[in-house]
Amino acid sequence: MRASFVFSEVVTGLRRNLTMTVAMILTTAISLGLLGGGLLVVTTIDRMQDLYYDRVEVAVFLSEDVSANDPECSAEPCSSLRAELEATSGVESVAFESREDAFNRFQQIFESQPELRELARPEALPASFRVKLADPQRFDVIAQEFTGRAGVDRVQDQGEYLEELFQTLSGVRNATFAVALVQALAALLLISNTIQVSAFTRRTEVGIMRLTGATRWYTQLPFLLEAVVAGLIGGVLAVVGLTTAKTAFIDVVLADVFEAGIVPRITLSDIAFISPVLLLVGAGISAVTGYVTLRLYVRT
Amino acid sequence: MIRLEHVSKAYKTSTRPALDNVSVEVDKGEFVFLIGPSGSGKSTFLRLLLREEMPTKGDVFVADWNVGKLSRRRVPQLRQRVGCVFQDFRLLNNKTVAENVAFALEVIGKPRHTIQKVVPEVLEMVGLDGKSERMPYELSGGEQQRVAVARAFVNRPLVLLADEPTGNLDPEISQDIMLLLERINRTGTTVMMATHNHSIVDSMRRRVVELQLGQLVRDDARGVYGVGR
Repeated sequence: MRASFVFSEVVTGLRRNLTMTVAMILTTAISLGLLGGGLLVVTTIDRMQDLYYDRVEVAVFLSEDVSANDPECSAEPCSSLRAELEATSGVESVAFESREDAFNRFQQIFESQPELRELARPEALPASFRVKLADPQRFDVIAQEFTGRAGVDRVQDQGEYLEELFQTLSGVRNATFAVALVQALAALLLISNTIQVSAFTRRTEVGIMRLTGATRWYTQLPFLLEAVVAGLIGGVLAVVGLTTAKTAFIDVVLADVFEAGIVPRITLSDIAFISPVLLLVGAGISAVTGYVTLRLYVRT
Repeated sequence: MIRLEHVSKAYKTSTRPALDNVSVEVDKGEFVFLIGPSGSGKSTFLRLLLREEMPTKGDVFVADWNVGKLSRRRVPQLRQRVGCVFQDFRLLNNKTVAENVAFALEVIGKPRHTIQKVVPEVLEMVGLDGKSERMPYELSGGEQQRVAVARAFVNRPLVLLADEPTGNLDPEISQDIMLLLERINRTGTTVMMATHNHSIVDSMRRRVVELQLGQLVRDDARGVYGVGR
């Protein structure tokens, strides 16, 4: 097969339907960009989960009696509770926080809000065990085991708050993927349509090619490559778009959030990491759509 | 070279078969006119030979291929050995004369040096050697048909099929095209030409196969168009 011949056919084809080609490329680019955006959100969620669940603790708040009378956790029931917690499988570490410690921490946290600090009394704060779990999902076991025990006031999972946060983020991710999917559908139809138009405008050539005994590949490869080239260009545009969005928008708007370490930064290497995926998906989907279209609409 | 054995072809959209139990044999190097009124099945006949259509019944043989049973993959091999020419020339208007002829070789992957050698030869043979860089629309109808013939012949096919090649041309020009087809026939290529043109058939005195309503009604070794039944 002569590459130069196929190549020139591809270029002619793309130029002949310029508006269609541009529409096809843009739709593909938007679709892939959204897909890439979704993937970046997924990466971010994963990283945030690592980051946060690492810090998450289960708090076992102790009763008023224990809080008031056992600041060292040396007497019953506190000491045996501690021993039991430590012996529970999946528990990484147990730290006792006395009423005094809790009060100090409270003062620290609300350093900038003197009114709150004024109001707080040590008596209002319970002592607690801060339990770190190897697997944060194991919270239920601790809750079941220790809720209602003598000396225990209640068991609280900080992870619950995170759940809500991550649910919101998952929602963002799902929405992004949904829009990407709709766009992808539009892109598919456009690719299919462009190939049909392309095949129609070149029906004389194709007819002659068939009658002179050109193989199926020779006849159809230019159309297929047209789609693949458009898909690849779409992929490149998507990567460029994501990079631009990151540097010009995300980095600026979320600068403070990144700085504080609340949300891990999206890096250029993250984009570099997903860009082969986008290019492959772009080229792959175009190729498959092209192939199916040619099968359905173009005779051999 | 061409053999039809009890071939019928029915189109889904029609109640009457386009070809009805037709059996013909054409030897290598023969020149055959395929005649009959419009709708008699001439075009279907030619399309079957190219495997543009599949026979509903019977077997079609071209060279050693059983055309109806040819796998999809091997259809191009058949078509590379069967040239064809049409009433409407079917040239590519954005390519020069030489490019039009070269196109037929490019698309079957012939190497460039072969193309550069063969194209001028065949253009000279059809009498267009001075016009290789012209565009099709700069040529007369007769010249355009010569380009089409050159394109059909450039790969030296075993069989040349012509579907009303003179249908758009005046009698004098038609005569030139016939001389060209005769010349091609003399190189050993089997020529099969579907036509309505009485005077050409009458003057050439070649084998005539006549179809009517899809049936073979006449096969004369040296026939004329109208009489001789």
